[in-house]
Amino acid sequence: MLKINNLSAKIDNKSILQDFKLEINPGEVHAIMGPNGSGKSTLSNILSGKKGYDVTGEVLFENNDLFSLETEERAHKGIFLAFQYPLEIPGVNTNVFLKTSLNAIKKARGEKELDAIQFLKLVKEKAKELKFDEEKLGRQLNVGFSGGEKKKNEILQMSILNPKLSILDETDSGLDIDALKTVAEGVNALRKKNNSFLIITHYQRLLEYIKPDFVHVLMNGKIIKSGGPELALELEKKGYENIN
Amino acid sequence: MEDQLKIDFEKKLKDFSYSDQEKKFKETNFEEFLKQGFPNRKLENWKFSDLNQIIKNNIGELTFYNDYKKENQIDKIELISELEHNKIIIVDGKIEKIDFKFEDKDKVVVLVEQGEETIKENINSLINLNNAFSNKFCKIIIKKNYSLKKPLVIYHSTNKNTQSKNTNSRIDFKLEENACLRLIDIFKDNSEKNFLNIYYNFELDKSSILKNYKIDKAINNNVKYSYNNVKQEANSISETFILSSGSKFFKNEINCDLLGQHSSAFVNGIFDLDDENHHEIKSNINHLVENTKSYQLVKSVLEKKSKAVYQGKIFVSSEAQKTDGYQLSNAILLSENSEFNAKPELEIYADDVKCSHGSSSGSLDDNSIFYLMSRGLNFKEAKKLLINGFLLDVIEKITDEEIKNLIKNLLGVKE
Repeated sequence: MLKINNLSAKIDNKSILQDFKLEINPGEVHAIMGPNGSGKSTLSNILSGKKGYDVTGEVLFENNDLFSLETEERAHKGIFLAFQYPLEIPGVNTNVFLKTSLNAIKKARGEKELDAIQFLKLVKEKAKELKFDEEKLGRQLNVGFSGGEKKKNEILQMSILNPKLSILDETDSGLDIDALKTVAEGVNALRKKNNSFLIITHYQRLLEYIKPDFVHVLMNGKIIKSGGPELALELEKKGYENIN
Repeated sequence: MEDQLKIDFEKKLKDFSYSDQEKKFKETNFEEFLKQGFPNRKLENWKFSDLNQIIKNNIGELTFYNDYKKENQIDKIELISELEHNKIIIVDGKIEKIDFKFEDKDKVVVLVEQGEETIKENINSLINLNNAFSNKFCKIIIKKNYSLKKPLVIYHSTNKNTQSKNTNSRIDFKLEENACLRLIDIFKDNSEKNFLNIYYNFELDKSSILKNYKIDKAINNNVKYSYNNVKQEANSISETFILSSGSKFFKNEINCDLLGQHSSAFVNGIFDLDDENHHEIKSNINHLVENTKSYQLVKSVLEKKSKAVYQGKIFVSSEAQKTDGYQLSNAILLSENSEFNAKPELEIYADDVKCSHGSSSGSLDDNSIFYLMSRGLNFKEAKKLLINGFLLDVIEKITDEEIKNLIKNLLGVKE
């Protein structure tokens, strides 16, 4: 599904990712762990199409050259990034935004757009599953939401858009244990044989609830070690400095 | 210009049989305008918008005479269909139609051609020009305790063949105690390169409410100036909303004298400008007695080489203790060549007051754009959603639901 070959990225001539390689197959859950400044967020930004990076190498998503696609086209193809810091958008109603987003993607795929009633039914159902306060759907997007509510809102968007590849950028940071469980349940509910996940995190904690198939350790822009779920536990014990 | 002015003024005087008093009033105003001419940047109030230059650049030489005996075609003017309304239709400065068909006949009194206000006014040279050249006097009185059932829409139109002309219109309004008027100004420009000069006087008696919505949406090459002079008695409320967008140049000036306790004035505006359009809102809110309130919010979205100016003044006299005055302006500049000028002025002589102001300008937030695009919206859609969101809180300040929806539709703001 996703193939990253020799990806290098620079920002203002500062090298962030170097010869990065990763392959994610349909249905797989990959976790990338790494210390601050190792390039984790850069990776998620580049995959979802944020501007401002000089890149070399190749990224293929279902055999499409990712770099030839605009940000919104990547979303249309099924890439979703759950933001580390979801943005507050004043004046934009959360429901309106969700419906606009879903219908933009459906339209691009040549699918039938949802009308207001169909949409509300869907969003209510998903909000209930995620224990997301329905009243907040009528409010301005993320404005006045707590940190946990913003993260839940990301997962709500994810479950409504039903992407093929979901990238979760430190979704666990700032979540209390109950919210963490709810978020994990939301992710697990989407785990199907065709949906893949790339989970970026500092801590092993989230991985207790979302069991990854592969764990990679990212340091100084490179994957220095890959393994199964047990690698996360090893990291937790030894720390990043002593892993080899 | 001076010769043209004199010729046109002579013609104007011949058209009507003015009383000596009226004639003197017109002559005095005319002399005053001759002396001062169009305002230019030497005047503090006009330093961001040099009208003299703007007229020269966009119109060239103006003529000032309009034949008010001529009947203008009004059936071709497209009226608002979304909401039932009373109407006044003004073509080239001439009031062609006054229609209060939804109202009780004895509650709305229209005085036309029954003596002119002859009080000397020293507001600015444009008011002098207006008084010298405007058509016959028109005053509308809303009787005590009467709220108009439907809004009044004033259509400001120009004839198809009118060009390089200055047109002047003036209407005086009196809202008696506890009366209420919703007034919408709509511009229907059928010709280019004219200078429209509009002057309203409002007397708001105790507990009366005036809501004035000025909608300049249709794209046109005219230059416009509008002056609202509002005098407010105790407990009265004035709400002014300006959607400033379509004209080549438009300056809206709002003067509110808060003369009675617990009176309040709200001035809210949107500049939605493109190309080389240049618009301004100038407010003077004069807090003259205790316990009065004013609130102003102006938001701008500026494309290409457009320019917006907001000069908001709050004046608090030494008697006006417990004044609550607030103003805020925010601008989004969508191009490097667009320009937003804000000049907040607070002149305060009382010591127990609450007054504040703020102003910000910047570009669209790249991170917000990225966020929305990562959810499948293209750049245009993301930008539109952000701009609508940015403007929404000004629109939400409109207290009349019907008119709020009309304006939302005009701006394409969805909920």
